[in-house]
Amino acid sequence: MAEHKHVDLHVSKFEAPAKLKTLSFALVAIGLLTFVIGLMKNPDRLWTSYLVAFFFFSCMGLSGLFWIAINNTAKAGWSVSIRRFAEATTSFIPFILVFGLVLLLGFKKLFIWADPAVIASNPVIAAKTAYLNPTFFVIRLLIFVVGCMIFRWVIVGNSLKQDVSGDENLTHKNVGPAIGFIAFFALMFSFFSVDLLMSLLPTWYSTIFGIYCFSGLFQAGLAFLAIVIVLMRRSGLVKGYVTVEHQHDVVKYLKGFSIFWAYIAFSQFMLMWYANLPEETEYYIMRSLGGWMSISTALLIFRFVVPFLALLPRAAKRNDANVILVSVLVLIMQYVDIYWMVYPNFFDGQVTFGFWEIGIFAGFAGIFLLCIMNFWSKHSLVPVKDPRMHEALNHHVAY
Amino acid sequence: MAAQYTKGIAGIWDNEAGILKAARKTREMGFTKFDAISAYPIHGMEEACGIQRSWIPYVTFIAGCVGLMGGLALTYWTSAVNWAVNIGGKPFFSLPAFVPIMFELTVLFAALSSVGALFYACKMPRIDPPVIDPDLSCHKFAIFVPFNDTGYDEAKLERMFKELGAIEVKKTEY
Repeated sequence: MAEHKHVDLHVSKFEAPAKLKTLSFALVAIGLLTFVIGLMKNPDRLWTSYLVAFFFFSCMGLSGLFWIAINNTAKAGWSVSIRRFAEATTSFIPFILVFGLVLLLGFKKLFIWADPAVIASNPVIAAKTAYLNPTFFVIRLLIFVVGCMIFRWVIVGNSLKQDVSGDENLTHKNVGPAIGFIAFFALMFSFFSVDLLMSLLPTWYSTIFGIYCFSGLFQAGLAFLAIVIVLMRRSGLVKGYVTVEHQHDVVKYLKGFSIFWAYIAFSQFMLMWYANLPEETEYYIMRSLGGWMSISTALLIFRFVVPFLALLPRAAKRNDANVILVSVLVLIMQYVDIYWMVYPNFFDGQVTFGFWEIGIFAGFAGIFLLCIMNFWSKHSLVPVKDPRMHEALNHHVAY
Repeated sequence: MAAQYTKGIAGIWDNEAGILKAARKTREMGFTKFDAISAYPIHGMEEACGIQRSWIPYVTFIAGCVGLMGGLALTYWTSAVNWAVNIGGKPFFSLPAFVPIMFELTVLFAALSSVGALFYACKMPRIDPPVIDPDLSCHKFAIFVPFNDTGYDEAKLERMFKELGAIEVKKTEY
């Protein structure tokens, strides 16, 4: 930049607000309590609600790593100063392994294709046993989660090492793993979503199911990132490093991926609706009966139409209150979306929601919040020694 | 064609920093009709020149809405009114089938109108415009102040441009 504006740069140490910490521990306690009571009283509802919350927070953790990977691959400079916010969400990734293993306890309740009686009576499911069998399911889950942990260890690890050494080669070293992660993620996340969500209705298939889940993951991840940016900017902890310009571009991203979600969701729906093949329409028929129709419509309106229009004007992307409201809406709709993929398979025509779903979600939310607060209090909020930092500091969104 | 170009004075710089500073100074002097000429967009130039936001996005939005409604009207009229054909037992008015056409027409209308509005806003096409300096399409930058701007004073402007580090000051047309 030609003009030498005086910019006050300052990164403060993050200290987790005591209230938020207490709240998180309380949420974890609620979750644990719900889990234990649920196991004894209502295991059916417990495991479906567990699956929805597990998938939601797995997506939140993975979205951060994916976002970092595409920025590393593109050698993006503008996003360097907000990278730590995305890196924080990746600290949930090890918990995907823990909670994934816990999920296996409810395996029989969730996945009917594992039941020998079902296989024997249904030739369509029997034909799929080469893929849909518990052993292979666990292997895929382990490869995915352990792979993500390794990629996280390399990519986030290099970024953290740079804080100490300031070695610019670490930035270049991160490009390869980032490209590798994108390829790995594309394949393995498809399996992850097919295994956990699509196989709940084992006779049905959609060839873009993985992309559908990915579009939701990324939209929700960007919404969370936008919330963090607004709160961090307002807290003054990252003075000068994170500006309204970064907020503007992340929200632009969010708007773009709201359109992407609608595009993918419509692509999946329209072809099935048009071709009208019985094995494909099954899924949408279940979601158009009874109370589920209103949720299907709500997804279209609150996951695409409202965020799109609310984020369209330039001023809307720079308005903190608006950004927070829309981002929270997107996060709620991400939960509703996963809920909508899971519940109609178990509760025909009846929208079932209540204490179990909220309690389990609270538990996961508590752990997620503790993870990110722990990450920030251990590391600097901004990777100050990144060689591309000057680009982020001068980032400017033209009219 | 000569009549559509205005006489004035142009200062030429050979670096980005110089022209940004000059644009800011020119605006501070109270000139409003001046223009900065560069081969590529310069960050911070819109503030330096005091340019307001463009009205083109509004054209894009309205044209997009017109395209959306036009697409709906077209598909409705062709498949449910004028030549209703039963396709796969689906209703004549089947919104999911119309969405791709509505979407495409939204994009088409929005994009073409934006380009049209851009041409209008930039008074394009300009055939054979006066050349201030051939290097302005490459590595030089200019500030042009038309003679009819408030407070136009050739001698004063020339002195100011020189003080701001202009490598050349020209009486020209733009």
